[in-house]
Amino acid sequence: MYRRGLLAVLALAGIATFGAGTASAQDKTIKIGGLFPMSGPGAYFGAQDKQGIELALEELNKTGVNGYKFAIQYEDSACSPLPASQAAKRLLDQYKPDVIIGEECSDATLAIMPIVAEAKVPLINAGSSSIRITDPGNPYTFRIMPNEVMQGVDIATQAYNKLNARTAVLLNETTNAGIGNAKVFKETFEKLGGKVVAEIGFGRDVNDFTAIATRVAGAGKVDVIPTYTLEGQGLKITQALSQAGVVKGGGGGAIQLGTIWLPFGFEQKAGKAAEGYVRIVQFDPTDQRDMVKNFVKNFKAKFNADPTHINAHAYDQILLIADAVKRGAKDAQSIRDTLAATKDFKGVTGSVEFDKSNQNIKMDTIHYMETKPDLSWNALKWN
Amino acid sequence: MTATIVAQQAINGIVLGSLYVLVALGLTLIYGVLVQINFAHADFVTLGAFAAYFFIHLLGGNYLTSIAVALVVGAILGWAINLTIFAPLRHKGSELLPLIATIGVSTMMQNAMLAWFGPIPYAFETPYSQQVFRVAGMFFTAQSLIIIAVSAATIALLYAFMKFTFLGKALRAVAQDRETAGLMGINPSYLIMLTIVLSSALAGMAGAMLAPVLVLTPFAGTTVIVKAFAIVIIGGFGNVEGTILAGLLVGLIESFTTQYFDPGLIDIFVFALLLLMLAFRPTGLISERREENV
Repeated sequence: MYRRGLLAVLALAGIATFGAGTASAQDKTIKIGGLFPMSGPGAYFGAQDKQGIELALEELNKTGVNGYKFAIQYEDSACSPLPASQAAKRLLDQYKPDVIIGEECSDATLAIMPIVAEAKVPLINAGSSSIRITDPGNPYTFRIMPNEVMQGVDIATQAYNKLNARTAVLLNETTNAGIGNAKVFKETFEKLGGKVVAEIGFGRDVNDFTAIATRVAGAGKVDVIPTYTLEGQGLKITQALSQAGVVKGGGGGAIQLGTIWLPFGFEQKAGKAAEGYVRIVQFDPTDQRDMVKNFVKNFKAKFNADPTHINAHAYDQILLIADAVKRGAKDAQSIRDTLAATKDFKGVTGSVEFDKSNQNIKMDTIHYMETKPDLSWNALKWN
Repeated sequence: MTATIVAQQAINGIVLGSLYVLVALGLTLIYGVLVQINFAHADFVTLGAFAAYFFIHLLGGNYLTSIAVALVVGAILGWAINLTIFAPLRHKGSELLPLIATIGVSTMMQNAMLAWFGPIPYAFETPYSQQVFRVAGMFFTAQSLIIIAVSAATIALLYAFMKFTFLGKALRAVAQDRETAGLMGINPSYLIMLTIVLSSALAGMAGAMLAPVLVLTPFAGTTVIVKAFAIVIIGGFGNVEGTILAGLLVGLIESFTTQYFDPGLIDIFVFALLLLMLAFRPTGLISERREENV
């Protein structure tokens, strides 16, 4: 009985392998490798990236682009350097992709960059903000969102000028991106005349933020609290700051400032504690451009949910590859060269034009949103 | 101001420590009786948290009842896993096999929960987290009072069970000498099963208590389990009183390190304490002979 079951499983595995082999043997297919966290604390990135990718591939493969169809294979890069490196090697050895998209977390992206560059395969990133990804970067790595310096300088300047903030407490996870983002904010804010009264870093294993909130409450008058962390810890921090009576949601005066790390729907999970939270979002679902309206409509139809910026970023990454193919790219090297020449790509998150270090220089992807008492967004129109 | 902050951080530390104690008690119980480390304990905690979450959100139950539900779910799962995995392996005569099996159970549970519940963090809110009391410049939530009350009641009940009931005495007998206890008419297999069920029930309940604090994902329990292991070692392998003391101590180290140093140093301080204990007082905070620990 067991042996028969085993034979059936082996037969199915054989069919699956044969099927995969047949598919990969098709000449006119652009093979995309997806390196995303599917496990661990950043796994929500991977789940949402996959949704955006699925929708984009479904739309593109209806007709194809210049005779090419698009296929993807994922590996779990776990938002962490070691598993990400191993996943990148597996992907390159076994799938031999023409282009790779991912990772989300800066530490993981920095780890896979040299591996992917050595294989001369372009890597498109939409989630990692560390400056080191494009400065100095390498010729094969492209980033379609503003880096930590572009974001950090902007948010610190807006906090000082628009919110009249003069004191700040920095809360950041102790990763490349967390430390880097906090550093840029501090440098810009202090140059403008502001004062950072405390810098509190924490690991991803911290669950209870009551002690940190207590420390912030005891730090004196604080105008803004820039916070750099993933969604799960972000929720706990916001709630703890509210319980400690520090932020507006808890009756205090401080305003929490957030980045694109938090997905759409964060406020609904955080509840009243999120009131007054000001954060950057890189996808505005109320954008009136036709392509955004179609994306929102099609996403809702497919997944019965509103798209997040993570969904939108993943969707744009695939569209950017398709755009390169439309402009004549057909393999890894030509995709790299065509991507580097991108000047006016329009995606659902905004525009893309790469500079010499392959960093997108367009800032129309940054939108500031303030959380209203009913937890909806108030677009601040600062950019 | 300074005195207020010290008092506030002491409260924070005791609340957090109480949660750690709840997680560590199950580990200590299994170690005390079976001299075995259960690597799947974290996943029982996670499952307890999800059981409580779905009891509230799908069945419309209230939070306090969900704690009992998580306890029962933990107990049933512990019983089932012991029956189907641990007991058959133990009967093969090797102590190593059930230990390795706990790693397998852990991986299996994590991936099953990832498949069922998805990777996106759940927001586990209780009405008690929103109720904030502010007294003399300090704050605490109704949730923190529940944590302390439930932890204290659990510790008292466990203590009474161990000291005053026949089953508790039988458990201690098995912990002292499994073979001799068997010769005295005690069924060691039954008591090992009881230990695993009790430990799993405690883990499930700890999950429900931790859920409003944890970032609730299928990997939630793993973020506290390393500290729970450290607490078991600092407290004295398998020593219940030592575990309680060590849990509270670790909670206090965490809150005061955050206040006066940096949260990034918490693990350094906790594990430095662990190493010091191993070097200078390997029997733990409360020294007893191991066989009398449970």
